[in-house]
Amino acid sequence: MNVSVQHSLALKSRIGAARVGIGGPVGSGKTALIERLIPCFSRRGVSLAVVTNDLVTAEDANRIRRSGLIDPNRVAAVEAGACPHTVIREDPTLNIAAADDLEARFPDVELILIESGGDNLASTFSLDLVDWWMFVIDVAGGDDIPRKNGPGLIKCDLLIINKTDLAPHVGVDLGRMEREAGEARNGKPLSFTNCRHQKGIEEVADRLMSEVLFR
Amino acid sequence: MISRDKILRTFQHADSQFPSGAFAFSQGLEAFSQQQDRLGKFDLWNFLYAQIVHRWASSERIAIIRAHRLNSDLDALADLDAEVEASTISEPLRVGSRRNGMGLLTTHERIGTPYAKAYRGMVRDGKALGHVAVVQGFLWNALEIEEDGAVLMSGYQSAASLTTAAVRLGLVGAIDAQAYLTKILPVIAQVSCSPVSENEPLRAFIPLSEIAISLHGATGQRLFSN
Repeated sequence: MNVSVQHSLALKSRIGAARVGIGGPVGSGKTALIERLIPCFSRRGVSLAVVTNDLVTAEDANRIRRSGLIDPNRVAAVEAGACPHTVIREDPTLNIAAADDLEARFPDVELILIESGGDNLASTFSLDLVDWWMFVIDVAGGDDIPRKNGPGLIKCDLLIINKTDLAPHVGVDLGRMEREAGEARNGKPLSFTNCRHQKGIEEVADRLMSEVLFR
Repeated sequence: MISRDKILRTFQHADSQFPSGAFAFSQGLEAFSQQQDRLGKFDLWNFLYAQIVHRWASSERIAIIRAHRLNSDLDALADLDAEVEASTISEPLRVGSRRNGMGLLTTHERIGTPYAKAYRGMVRDGKALGHVAVVQGFLWNALEIEEDGAVLMSGYQSAASLTTAAVRLGLVGAIDAQAYLTKILPVIAQVSCSPVSENEPLRAFIPLSEIAISLHGATGQRLFSN
């Protein structure tokens, strides 16, 4: 048997729930975005599950489990082994296994949100793990972030600029940030959100419905 | 003489770049290094030596060899899996081993390694447990990697994953870590020579390490699964 010949490129076709990654720096609002999206999808009749990759504790997973927004059994936590980008990019097997397990336990699940641990602007999701992914930054991190051309920011399917309510307090010009992010992303979509006051969340959910769930 | 093709295949599957989830497990190293006020001074060399001699050599190595010799008899592998489960006292180690095994199976199923899909299905259906040493043994056999090669791959990976965890935890520098690896490799080579009989029992006993694992997360920091 020639094993090397038998090995083929990993199968890309997979029957099951759509898997959407949510990456971004620490504190940008990834968990808050999930907390806001859960009721949106619930209203739309979408069966949901969540995988979190906390960096140091199970804080994010526990926060979502205790939120009362979703059955806690539909939230899985995967440790990142001190390397949040490894578990979503170089070696996503534990996340894949966690998502597969959620699908097996909840056969009706249609959408699995996979939250990365907080990372830097270079973090990207492997398409072995997700079908589509978002990258969340916030205005308080500085309006120069789009100009830094981080791969996470450039390559994601949807860039989310969160905490827009803080813009006047940190001297950020949202129009300029939008323009520069658009240039860095060659016109790929971006959304402004304010998770605290639930602004822009429905638009994000609408985009996932049409581009990921085709509904 | 081993063919170049087979040597390269061994490199591929021994490489930490091969996705298996192993990077997320520290086998108690993180916990021990955090609990020095309760467990005494942490010494990386002592930890590494104990893990290789008192766990890997007498437990994981045995499981790999026995799995390798089962030649993809999936039901017999499931029985061996149950034996690994029964012989691993620490729950975090048992759970970690199963998760790591499932991670490795996930990759092998996707790249089409013989029997990976079937055994992963058995694990999913609750007919097997999927401990990593069992999974390594039968998959590497299916890939036509010799028994000795499989044992050395496992020994190297066990040591390297511990030194890598130590680097990530800031306990040792990346260059110093290579000095620890250089020192442990002859130990791995030596203990690998010990013959393994049919149905050789699995034994592991590192009480301080297992106490540390049971305290994992008590400090509020938990970067690794165990």
